[in-house]
Amino acid sequence: MSKKGLEIQRNYPLNKKVKEFFWGGWCMQALWNYERQMNTAFMWGISKTIDRLYPDPEEDEKKKEAYRRSLEFFNITPQFGAFVLGLTAAMEEEYADNPETFDPKMINSVKVALMGPLSGIGDSLFQGTVRVIAMSIGISLAQQGSILGPILAMLISFGVSFPITWFGAKLGYLNGQKYLEQISKSNLMDKIMYGCSVAGLMVIGGMVASLVNITTPLAYGEALQLQVILDGIMPKLIPLALTGVMYFLVKKGVKPMVVIISCFIVGIILNYFGILAI
Amino acid sequence: MLFQSILIGLVAVFMVLDSRMLGRLNFERPLITCTIVGLIMGNVETGLLVGAQMEMITLGMMSIGASGVDMNIGAITGCALVITSGASIETALTIAVPMTLLDQLLTTVADIIRIQLCHMCDGYVEKSQYAMARRVHILFGPLVYSVFKFIPVFFAVYFGNDLINTIVNAVPEFIMSGVSLGANLISFFGFAMLLSTMINKKNAVFFFLGFVIAAYSGLGLTAIAVISIVVTVLLYQIKFGNSSSSLQAAGADIDELDELDDELDD
Repeated sequence: MSKKGLEIQRNYPLNKKVKEFFWGGWCMQALWNYERQMNTAFMWGISKTIDRLYPDPEEDEKKKEAYRRSLEFFNITPQFGAFVLGLTAAMEEEYADNPETFDPKMINSVKVALMGPLSGIGDSLFQGTVRVIAMSIGISLAQQGSILGPILAMLISFGVSFPITWFGAKLGYLNGQKYLEQISKSNLMDKIMYGCSVAGLMVIGGMVASLVNITTPLAYGEALQLQVILDGIMPKLIPLALTGVMYFLVKKGVKPMVVIISCFIVGIILNYFGILAI
Repeated sequence: MLFQSILIGLVAVFMVLDSRMLGRLNFERPLITCTIVGLIMGNVETGLLVGAQMEMITLGMMSIGASGVDMNIGAITGCALVITSGASIETALTIAVPMTLLDQLLTTVADIIRIQLCHMCDGYVEKSQYAMARRVHILFGPLVYSVFKFIPVFFAVYFGNDLINTIVNAVPEFIMSGVSLGANLISFFGFAMLLSTMINKKNAVFFFLGFVIAAYSGLGLTAIAVISIVVTVLLYQIKFGNSSSSLQAAGADIDELDELDDELDD
C-alpha cells in the first residue's frame, strides 16, 4: 500500500524536489514564532514530499503523523534550512520504505542535532562575513555617490546565498547522511569557521579604522594639540578605544536600545564641551 | 504624497519579506532600502548617502533568532522624511530611533498573533486539512509581517513631514551636531556587537591586522575586503593544505570545491 506513494516520490523529477527544499529554506522565517520558531516553515518545505509518500486516503493517519513530526521545534540559518529539508525528506522516504525497521524518532533527532552547529556556521558565514564584506564594499561606493554600491552589495549576497541553498538542498537529499559523516571527518565546520573569522575580523578591523573618523578638538594653544599627539602614536586611536569601550558594554550585556539612547546623550555632551568631534 | 507614502510603505514590506521569504539576501539593509526610497522620491543621491550613513551605523547589528535590534524600519522612514523635508542626512538617524522603538512595540503584538497562527496550523493538520496548514505558513505569516511594517511607515511618512520640520527648526544647532556625533558613536557599538560574536584570544590578531593596515595605509574598505580574502585563502592553504590530500573521498572533494566557490564569491 505504502509502496505506491514511494514510487510516486521516486519518479518525481529531482530538480522539482530540490526546488521545494530551496524555497522551504528561503521561506524559513515566514511564520517565525516564539513557541516553536521555524516549525511551520519546516512543515511547508517538506509537506509536498509527505503528500507524495502517502497518497491514499487510508494512509491519512501515517500522513498526519509525518506532518506532526515536521511541526516540532526547528530553528536554523535559512540558507542551510534547505540542506536539512533535503536530508529529512530522504529519511522520510526511507521510513516509508521500511516502516518496521526504521525508527521515525531518528528523523527528528537528526534535525535537532543539526540545528545548533549549522546555525552557528550559518550566522557567522552569512551575517558575520558575507554581509559585512558586501556592505563594506557597498558603503564605500555609495559614499562616492555611485549606485553601483547597493547593486554590488545585492549581487554579492545573492551570489553566495543562492548556490549554497540550491546545492545544499540537492546534496542533503541525495547524499545527506554520507555527507554529514564526511563533514565531521574532514573538520569542514572548523575550517569554514576559521575562514570566516579571519576574513570577517580583518574587515571589522578595517571598518573601525576607516568608516567613522572621530577626533578630538582638545588643544592647549597652537603647540599642544591632542589629536596630533595621538596621531603620532598611532592613527585612529580614538575609534579603536571607542570600540574597546563598546565591546566591554556588549560583554556586560547592556541592552542595545539603552546603548543607542545613551550614545545620543553622551554625544550631545561631548560635542558641547568640545571633547570629541566628527 | 499619498501615493508616495504607499510606495514607501511597500518598501518596508519588501524589507521585511527579504528575511521572511528570500532567506535574508541582505536586501533588507538600509543601503539597499534607502536607495530604493531615493529612487521612488526622485532623489537617488540623498537616498544613497542616507543609506550609506545608516548602513555604517547599523552594520554591526545582527539579528540572530529573536535577539538583537534592527533599525531597518527606522532607516526607511528616516530616509523618506529627510528627502521630503530637505533636512540634513544626520536627521535620518534622529528619526530612526523613535521609529525603531515603535517598531519593537508593534513587533511584540505581531509576535503574539504569530503564536496563534502556529496553533492554527496544528489545528488544520489535526483536521487533515493540509492545504490550509500550508496556506497559514506561506500566506498568513508574511501577511502579518507585511501589515505590521506597512502601517507605521505609511503613517510616519504621510504625516511626519510637518512634525520633522517643526522639530528641526526648534532644536538648537549644538544639539543637532551632538546628535550626529552620537549617531556615529552608535556605529562603534555595532562593530563591537559583530566582534563579540567572532573574536577570541587566538584570532583577535586578525582584527588588529585589519585595523593596522587600514589605519596606516588609509586604504578604503573595498581594498581591505580584498586583502582579507587573499589572507584567508593564504592562511587556509598553510593551515589545511597538507591534510586535504589525504581525503580523496568523493564527498570531501565536493567540500573543497564548494568552499573554494564560497571564497571566490565573497
